[in-house]
Amino acid sequence: MARSMPSEEIQLLIAGYVLGELEPQEAEEFERLLQADPAIATEVAEMQAALESTYGAEPVQPPVHLRAQILDTHAASQTQPANQVIPLRDRKLNWNRLLGAVAAVFLVGLGINNYQLWRRLQTVETQPQAATPLRYTLNGTKLAQTASASLTVNPTNLEAELAAQNLPPLPAGKVYALWTVVQKNAPLTVDSKGAVLTQTFTVDAAGQANRKFTVPPFYRDQDVVSKVAITVEDASAPQAHVGSPLLITNAQS
Amino acid sequence: MSAEQPSNFAPPPTSSATDAELLLALRAGQTAALGELYDRHASLVYGLALKVLNRPQEAEDLMQDIFLNLAQSTYDPKRGSLRTYLAILTRSRAIDRVRSHNSASRAIERSKPGMNQEVNTNSPLEYAFQNEQSQEVQAALAQLSEEQQQVLRMTYYDGLSQSEIARQLALPLGTVKARARRGLVKLRQTLTNS
Repeated sequence: MARSMPSEEIQLLIAGYVLGELEPQEAEEFERLLQADPAIATEVAEMQAALESTYGAEPVQPPVHLRAQILDTHAASQTQPANQVIPLRDRKLNWNRLLGAVAAVFLVGLGINNYQLWRRLQTVETQPQAATPLRYTLNGTKLAQTASASLTVNPTNLEAELAAQNLPPLPAGKVYALWTVVQKNAPLTVDSKGAVLTQTFTVDAAGQANRKFTVPPFYRDQDVVSKVAITVEDASAPQAHVGSPLLITNAQS
Repeated sequence: MSAEQPSNFAPPPTSSATDAELLLALRAGQTAALGELYDRHASLVYGLALKVLNRPQEAEDLMQDIFLNLAQSTYDPKRGSLRTYLAILTRSRAIDRVRSHNSASRAIERSKPGMNQEVNTNSPLEYAFQNEQSQEVQAALAQLSEEQQQVLRMTYYDGLSQSEIARQLALPLGTVKARARRGLVKLRQTLTNS
């Protein structure tokens, strides 16, 4: 091998990671090493291979159809999970069903005109809650004073659109990272800065980015999202969250 | 990956994203991230599931169980590798299924006249893998102390936490950690150099 073997201490740390039992302090140290030296990742893979070749079973390729089956099931659960806000389209269907049942009992008394008026009123009352997009405006900090960005989130299907302008060009090996800072005590796993890595992206030669992606379900609870920010991070480990915000917003507009 | 490592165990390099990044994207609801993780680790999970369950249909069911619940799992990417988590989880779930099946079979057996004695179904599933280790691996294992092998088996086969192992063996936690880590480092060195 061209590279030298890591020191014994580092090897023991890598072994701890491969065995899945690093203590929090060790995990921080390991993450630092991983970012500083790409050879660590290779060593992890080799130690993992040693463990699996000793104690694992022979890998077997599963039937081809299984992949599509699992991904289709996952995709379906994402569009309509049990604990999710019902999309507007389905609400209308449910209203139709409900109204059909109610109408069967009360139609004679109500009269067609009253029924139609009532249904329109219900639709008008329902629509804005489900369809209003959440829009976050991010302004440049002193690190990127002319930069700006907006994040628009559809709380129903969690599809988000990020549009950023005038961002500085990225050095090699770096990416922009979009962070969602959540309220303290929110029941979520966050990093040491209280943030969740939401998306990474790059910009074109003009410093622009337009990206569509899906945000985590906690975006449905507007009380949870505290800030949205953009930093520059290492492309190999954006989750390290070492960059300072270039753009940030405090409130949803 | 170096040329020295057993090629069967190398996940195919299909993307530059780390497992931790893909898991983050999966937890954000991205099905494409699940596809990538599946491509990397499905053969590991299916191989283990098939080995224990011995029935392709049951192994496929377990695959679905494992991958569809991955986003909600308690796995912490900072503490350890996803492959080890998946291997331990798969083996544990597969053994649970076999035991559950055996338990049902025992109940049926006991209900038959003249079948009151306990049917021995506690076969050492956890150690069924050892008989098929290659000579190279057996030679590498022979370089480890019995204590190191025991702790590695309890960690990777039985899925026990190191504090649980310390409790069972009445050893200080630091001793258990040191034995497991030194044992794995030794294994890696021996297998790479052989």
